[in-house]
Amino acid sequence: MSEHHSDERTEVPVTGDELVETFPGYRNPNDISLLERPGRPASTVPSADVLRADLAGPLEHDLYTHQAEALEALARDENVCVATSTSSGKTRVYALQIARNYLAARARGEASTAYLLYPTKALSRDQERSLNDLYDELGLDITVSVYDGDTERGRNRKRIREEADVIITNFAGVNTYLHDHDRWAKFLSTCDLVVIDESHTYTGVHGMHVAWIVRRLKRVLSYYDADPQYVLTSATIGNPGEHSSALIDESVTVVDEDGSPAGPRDLVLWNPPPQGREADDDRDDWSGADDGNGDTVVERVPATVEAPRLLSHLTYQDAQTLLFTPSRKLAELSIKRASKHRQDNHYYANPDRASAIEPYHAGHSRKKRHGTEHQLKTGLLDGIASTNALELGIDIGAMDATVQLGYPGQRQSFWQQIGRAGRGAKRALSVLVAEHRTLDQYVVNNPDYLLENDIEDAVVDIDNDAVFARHLRCAADELAIDDSDVGAFAERERLERAIEMWRRAGQLTGALETGVSYVGPPRPQGSISLYATTGEEYEVTLEDGADPAQDPEMEPLAKERVLRDFHEGAVRLHQGQQYEVTAVDHGSPRPSVTLKPTNVDYYTRTRTDVTVLDAVSEESRDIGDFTLHFGRGRVLVYHGTYDKVAIHGGKKTDQSIPTENPPLSMETQLCWLEVPQRVERALIEKYRDFSVPELEDGLAGTAHLGYAGGLHAAEHATIGVAPLELMVDKRDLGGLATLTIDSHLDQDADPDADSRFGAPGAADDAPKNIAAAEATVREIATDLERTPASGWFIYDGIEGGLGFARAIYENYEAVARRARDLIADCDCGNVGGCPACVMDEQCGNDNQPLHRGAAVDVLDQLLGTEDTSALEAHLPDDEHGGDRRPPLFYA
Amino acid sequence: MTARDGATLLALPPSAIADRPVATLEDLDTTLDPDAVWVLGPTREPQAFARARSAFDAPAFHPPLETGSEGSLKRQPLGDSEIAVTAGIGSLRANSADVSNTLAEQSDIAALVCDDVTTTVRPTALETTLEGAGTLADALPSGQVTTVLSGSEPAGYDELWHLEPETGAVRAVEHDLLGGIEPLDENCVSVRLQGAGPVEGYDRRQSIASLRLTDDGVDRVDTHKITNFGLEAVSGIGPKTAERLAGRGVTTRTELLETPVQTLADLPNVGRKGARTMHRHARVLETGDPRRLSGESLPGEDWHTPPLCVDIETDGLSPTIIWQIGVYDPATDDYRAFVERDDPSDPGSVLEAFCDWLLGVHPDRALLTWNGWRFDYRHLGAFIAKHVPYYADEWESIPKFDLYLWAVGDDNALLPGRTNKLEAVSDALGYESAGTGLDGAQTAAAYQRFMRTGDPLEWERHEAYCEDDCRALWHVYERLRDAPQAESRIDSNRRDSSRVETDTASGESANADSTDRTADRQPSSEPKKSEQTGLSDF
Repeated sequence: MSEHHSDERTEVPVTGDELVETFPGYRNPNDISLLERPGRPASTVPSADVLRADLAGPLEHDLYTHQAEALEALARDENVCVATSTSSGKTRVYALQIARNYLAARARGEASTAYLLYPTKALSRDQERSLNDLYDELGLDITVSVYDGDTERGRNRKRIREEADVIITNFAGVNTYLHDHDRWAKFLSTCDLVVIDESHTYTGVHGMHVAWIVRRLKRVLSYYDADPQYVLTSATIGNPGEHSSALIDESVTVVDEDGSPAGPRDLVLWNPPPQGREADDDRDDWSGADDGNGDTVVERVPATVEAPRLLSHLTYQDAQTLLFTPSRKLAELSIKRASKHRQDNHYYANPDRASAIEPYHAGHSRKKRHGTEHQLKTGLLDGIASTNALELGIDIGAMDATVQLGYPGQRQSFWQQIGRAGRGAKRALSVLVAEHRTLDQYVVNNPDYLLENDIEDAVVDIDNDAVFARHLRCAADELAIDDSDVGAFAERERLERAIEMWRRAGQLTGALETGVSYVGPPRPQGSISLYATTGEEYEVTLEDGADPAQDPEMEPLAKERVLRDFHEGAVRLHQGQQYEVTAVDHGSPRPSVTLKPTNVDYYTRTRTDVTVLDAVSEESRDIGDFTLHFGRGRVLVYHGTYDKVAIHGGKKTDQSIPTENPPLSMETQLCWLEVPQRVERALIEKYRDFSVPELEDGLAGTAHLGYAGGLHAAEHATIGVAPLELMVDKRDLGGLATLTIDSHLDQDADPDADSRFGAPGAADDAPKNIAAAEATVREIATDLERTPASGWFIYDGIEGGLGFARAIYENYEAVARRARDLIADCDCGNVGGCPACVMDEQCGNDNQPLHRGAAVDVLDQLLGTEDTSALEAHLPDDEHGGDRRPPLFYA
Repeated sequence: MTARDGATLLALPPSAIADRPVATLEDLDTTLDPDAVWVLGPTREPQAFARARSAFDAPAFHPPLETGSEGSLKRQPLGDSEIAVTAGIGSLRANSADVSNTLAEQSDIAALVCDDVTTTVRPTALETTLEGAGTLADALPSGQVTTVLSGSEPAGYDELWHLEPETGAVRAVEHDLLGGIEPLDENCVSVRLQGAGPVEGYDRRQSIASLRLTDDGVDRVDTHKITNFGLEAVSGIGPKTAERLAGRGVTTRTELLETPVQTLADLPNVGRKGARTMHRHARVLETGDPRRLSGESLPGEDWHTPPLCVDIETDGLSPTIIWQIGVYDPATDDYRAFVERDDPSDPGSVLEAFCDWLLGVHPDRALLTWNGWRFDYRHLGAFIAKHVPYYADEWESIPKFDLYLWAVGDDNALLPGRTNKLEAVSDALGYESAGTGLDGAQTAAAYQRFMRTGDPLEWERHEAYCEDDCRALWHVYERLRDAPQAESRIDSNRRDSSRVETDTASGESANADSTDRTADRQPSSEPKKSEQTGLSDF
């Protein structure tokens, strides 16, 4: 084994210090932190130590130690998860294993195939090319082909199935193709390797579907007497071994000692200047309300404005730069803003220099994306603004710098993105531009949070019966389920219960001893929605009379996106052309969105509300004086209004315009906790003085606000820590803290009546706007006969539910204990908490109000860790007095 | 149509008949000849009901309107027997004692119609519940099995729920019911719930069912698409064209045939070729004579010996054994069956015997099936590769034809059946069936029971069923062989246009969603057909 330093100090176009020095306009040094991360030399092993001579010979470079370690484990017949940094050569591990298998099989006069599963189609095409190139280089006649929804049908497909040595596809494809596994018999029966690339992306709902598709694939492989090894490649996550094992249901050897070289990196945390302080041409875009006192910052320049300026500046300094944006819209918009920054600023003597910048996101055609990738690789482009579409391993070559428009919400994602800059030993620059929101501000003020804490765990749940049951139908359709599936696909008791459920529903027939077949509607695989969307799609059409040359030629849109971004009046930028949505047809069998080209100086942004309606308790239990419920109800996610936002400056020019959208209504499972009146009364008094001046609607100083902030904080924390205790992903959970739980319940709930959600048309009764929904809730609140309980809901954010809320219901004490400790032990010192405790990136109320102290008090009372007498001092003298309870609720 | 025992109850979802011309309902009436017509509840649809009443000769009933909440059961004559109809669970609950007495005393009531009895699947609880179980337990007599028909379950649903009389708690549920149905004991309320509602899988609004009832209950259930009746049954006529034709006074196929081709061709999106096809298909449906649309010869038509007609029976749609392989040789009029009667755990013997015989005695013959590329060839290929791998290559090289694919999939012929199932097609073409009363699912369930219990099947009956299918297949082949051919090959162009439609329906198209994940759209219904070689794809 050898270690060698690469002392090639490749010239860096611009360092962190130089960026701060050269950026035009004043920036307060306190707003910018510079961190330097040291580099790491390569650690390598001669290829010939690990590989047979005919493979090692043609390889140009030695193997990195992690590649060697993984290949050795594979030689020992182990499954391997390679969890190392971006572009550390993970692909090469399985590419070489495929080559080994191929050569070994060829010597026996047999075939050896491999099934490669990638998370995106774009990645599939990218890897098809590079694998074919590698095998050419090695002089091996290994055919690598992509087979997915874009693959031409008919003989072409049959040829790939029967002739390719390596087939690249994705899990949606596998889910579909398993139905016709007999057509794949030849390929599957010689399968020696299954590769799950970017396996860290399989978490939450998607992850559990993938875990079950893998299990279905394994049944079919075993039917064809194939017993392949598995290679998973993963970004750096907290639990690569556990996560991999959960996905493939086998033991996995983790290789995470990274032997690839890494250059030093300048990490710049960039907080944009306060709005009024900035002295440049954009000044008239906002009111300049700041008083000039540096201690309190009322509002900062949005990252959506500042980050494109950095993109523009860095490319001007000859640094090829990748800007990550949180949305397609902002990718498009950032290009415009970067260009405007150049034109408007006298610093840039030659504004057209190095100004080739393009947007990149999944809304573009494959051809266009591929062209952009190529231009990046060949240096024709100076910069790019991309969604997280470029977070995964598409080969675009090494960038000099990255800029992040806002904190991406997860450390795993943060590191994955900045890994795009600086390949090999090259020095790299990465800039995080903070949004003026709590999570980002916390990160820039506490850089250690990024550097020291553990990376998040990827969570996959295979105990979820709803998902299991759906895949069981598919499995029965693929091959009869029999005793050989007991223990392998699921434990006997679970298998028998699920089979009995489907038999009673008339969808399965037969018995485990002799084989269970599927007899329901054709192709149950079609009912699997890997991302739990409704599957309803909208066509995008151009308005009659508009110039056909300006047809946006967009792919169909999912319903969720239409509701959020394509309401009537929405202004969208697509490939540099602005479009206004002139009509949306939700009702017809072929729903559609109609656009017309436009040219205005604003874009639109929707506002989102969440509320819970008609919850019906199915089970309940007491925890001390508290009552915990599990049940079903309707959650409305409502993009009810939108704002017009000036393209330059980001000021809202028009606010709260109704979208006329229907709410997105989910029938789902919920659990909720009712706080006893005594605790509530005491805590209202205790935190009576708490106020949040920024709050709208005149509620800033309401007496109940401190207590409500406590409920809200406890709700966030409970959801946030749920994955510590349970195999759930918090992104699939939602919550709502409320002072009037009763008003969210079904007022006519009759325990004997048949479930109202079973009745057809229930969803049609949904209120047509959020005002109606919330008014309904408030109206109910005023008419309640008993004093309503306060508390919080936790719901599964998926139509029909996923069993998460139930799992939390069953493990509530353990989860609450975690939440309590998290809040109490956090050293942020803020009443309103921080992203590490009670702030939630996805909060619908911008993390306000939140009150840590009140949250800890509530949880202490729930858990009985604090004596009930601790509250006595705060109880008001007047038993029935107090302020009128406002029907507040916070998502 | 062959003569049938029992009486026919036609179950129509209101949505299937609401917008259909009266002539279509009359065609339904003539073709299926129901003894009573049930317009499904549970929602009140008075207009659809009125439509059914006026269009059908047989009595029609619509449960939500037939019985007020105060009344008890309505007795509905059905052929020689009788069924009872209730407005719904609420009405049963209100009159439970009366209902119970009536059903216990009147043994000639073949079934109880109650449209809101349904099952609900709760996947998170791994549980399927019977809605209204408590009321049923209260209102139905104990110690006997009551057949309950519901439009809220799809046609084909058939499960026996044993309930506690007091609480309605489920004691057990019996599946795969094959004769000899008994309550668990005297204190058990046993509900045999059978569906009559739309089946999933294609447009539910078009799905209708006909149930054949005897005194013992439902004897047989057939599902149809409403669009296989009236003008819409004619190839190329959808709802829009049907509406335009109605505007010109054309509502029946006879009237269509009286309309000049040129008039039809002038309709939007029809054209001359389409108009000719309409005429031809209408004539096929009216006369019962098939018609060949192209100059393509039948598969194997020009061979010196005809193909062997093959049919297989399995233990289910995801088979663990192919336990019967039937082969009819039209050249000698011989039939041969390969059956595993002894050891159901041995899938190899039957296959080996079949291959020995086929490759040894008939090495040069082709095979013929009905829809074999989707079932018979598919499973035979997989099972031979797995259990008698030494024959796999030979099996691969045997020429295999699929008459269904040739006629329907590749648009080479128009058939007179109302569905493309072999039984319907051969029946319409005058094949005299052996009348075993079996279908594929029943014979599979029977074999499963044999596998589980060792109780022998009625082997002769099940073998006769398989033989019947082989012979029916040859009958269809002969009728098609003798059918008039198209005057020219001009129609072969049609294939392209018709293919487009199928391809779209089954395609997994590119579909980038917001996260740039791949999402293969699922094939929605029928898979894409393959060619005679079985080489192509769906």
